[in-house]
Amino acid sequence: MIIEPGVSMDETIEDASASHLVGFCSQVQIKIEDNRVLLILPTAEEMPLELPWSEIWQEIKYLVKQREQSWPANAAVCLVVGDRLIDNRQLQSVEEVLTEAKLRLSAIRTSRRQTAVAAATAGYSVEQNLLPNPLSLFDVPPPSTEPVEMLAEPLYLKNTVRSGLEVRHPGTIIILGDVNPGGTVIAAGDVFVWGRLRGMAHAGARGNQMSQIMALQMEFTQLRIANSVARPPQKLPHNFVPEIAFMSKTGINLARASDFMKTHSFLLSEDCWVKKN
Amino acid sequence: MSRIIVITSGKGGVGKTTVTSNLGAAIANLGRKVALVDADFGLRNLDLLLGLEERVVYTALDVLAGECRLAQALVKDKRLNGLVLLPAAQNRNKESVEPEQMKTIITALAKGYDYIIVDSPAGIELGFRNSIVAAKEALIVTTPEIAAVRDADRVIGLLEAEGVSKINLIVNRIKPHMIEENKMMSVEDVLELLGVPLIGVIPDNEAVIVSTNKGEPLILGDPGSLPALAFKNIAQRLEGEKVPFLNFASDQGNILTKLRRIFGG
Ligand SMILES: Nc1ncnc2c1ncn2[C@@H]1O[C@H](COP(=O)(O)OP(=O)(O)OP(=O)(O)O)[C@@H](O)[C@H]1O
Ligand SMILES: [Mg+2]
Repeated sequence: MIIEPGVSMDETIEDASASHLVGFCSQVQIKIEDNRVLLILPTAEEMPLELPWSEIWQEIKYLVKQREQSWPANAAVCLVVGDRLIDNRQLQSVEEVLTEAKLRLSAIRTSRRQTAVAAATAGYSVEQNLLPNPLSLFDVPPPSTEPVEMLAEPLYLKNTVRSGLEVRHPGTIIILGDVNPGGTVIAAGDVFVWGRLRGMAHAGARGNQMSQIMALQMEFTQLRIANSVARPPQKLPHNFVPEIAFMSKTGINLARASDFMKTHSFLLSEDCWVKKN
Repeated sequence: MSRIIVITSGKGGVGKTTVTSNLGAAIANLGRKVALVDADFGLRNLDLLLGLEERVVYTALDVLAGECRLAQALVKDKRLNGLVLLPAAQNRNKESVEPEQMKTIITALAKGYDYIIVDSPAGIELGFRNSIVAAKEALIVTTPEIAAVRDADRVIGLLEAEGVSKINLIVNRIKPHMIEENKMMSVEDVLELLGVPLIGVIPDNEAVIVSTNKGEPLILGDPGSLPALAFKNIAQRLEGEKVPFLNFASDQGNILTKLRRIFGG
């Protein structure tokens, strides 16, 4: 019943360099709260490798476009920037993107004085916060071994993740579309691809070994679960069935998705999935 | 309403400039007014391919600097009524043009021409942004190679993010005998990955190189050749006609002669 094509675990990342994979950094998030939209930028802490503003801005643009239908026209937006230094020009560039999506930048939430000054000067209302980032679900980056219970709400994307695009989310990611070669999906939770997975997917990116990757067609260039990495088998099957990738005792394995939950269970003591007898 | 179309690819050397010049000529040949814009600042060669190099006096930068009027900078093609070129400056720093300036020029051009076709430089940096800033449509050029297709995919993603939603695909340099021997990606493989509509398939053909070297678009220099036919078909499809796709099936790996219908319609 269970097919487990030869996906072998090639390597386990054990050295210090693993921490950047596991110390998951969330990027821009959008939440809807009390009739307004919160646009949350990653804190400096969540971003060990400082991203250039142009990339953050690109991502804001992309996310806003993605979720265009989720708010009424002219909805107010609060930009949550935590301890990040944001200048006038950057505020303006965010405003432009929001205006295009029929949103209105109304407030800035920050814990940093200079940012607050810039925002006030530009005429936005300022909500000052003393905590680093009160909205972050992960105030403290967890140590790599602790599975993380708290996940953000799933991120649902309805389009193709094309080459060069990297989607990161501190929860589960659901994609209705393909992940093309060169495209990357990184989730703290599970990854669902309702389409072909031909790029790279990383589930449990903060270290949760229970996380899984599911795709209608597994044609990935690489899979990662927690801190394990797998490359595709030499020979791809001709007839694809929906498959599920999971951590077994020996590393990342693939199984037919339809009966996986009936045939496997997660053993907490081993921190991996095992076959039921 | 004029159509503003950017020809772009991500990867370099896949045939953007070849497509711009030949497609531009083919559309003009249908009786349309066509302005070709060279957005490859620093590495201009659209004028070369069109055989107009010697007649370039002003460039887009001179227009922006106020040194000449837009109409003065346009080089008219004497062989084809309705075809003009707006050359790019070769000598100046390519960083010297901003997307907004490019938009101004293209919007002005749109008042007098049915088609504005912009030849973009390789890459996804400033030059690329300059060339897509005013575009309403894009033609993605790729060759059937993994690296080219990967870059095409990236560029499609960027165009979609910029709100350019009318995107069509041209697969260039098809070698039928290699596809038959399974040594090359097929057009279907490329299409299946990129997921945008196909508007043309161009064979890898010596006639293209000959016409490039002569500075004479195929529609003028070698109108009976297979690639000339391919460009003519793309022009007609842009005009909304349904033209069947060419199939360059080789005779036992011989010359590309046989034309057959593939992809219904
Ligand atoms: N269908 C074809 N058959 C044969 N040769 C071709 C074909 N298409 C393009 N070429 C050749 O490939 C080379 C590169 O083409 P071209 O300059 O149009 O590419 P490009 O994408 O504009 O390059 P760049 O990125 O440098 O601007 C040229 O020498 C051209 O003659
Ligand atoms: Mg070129």
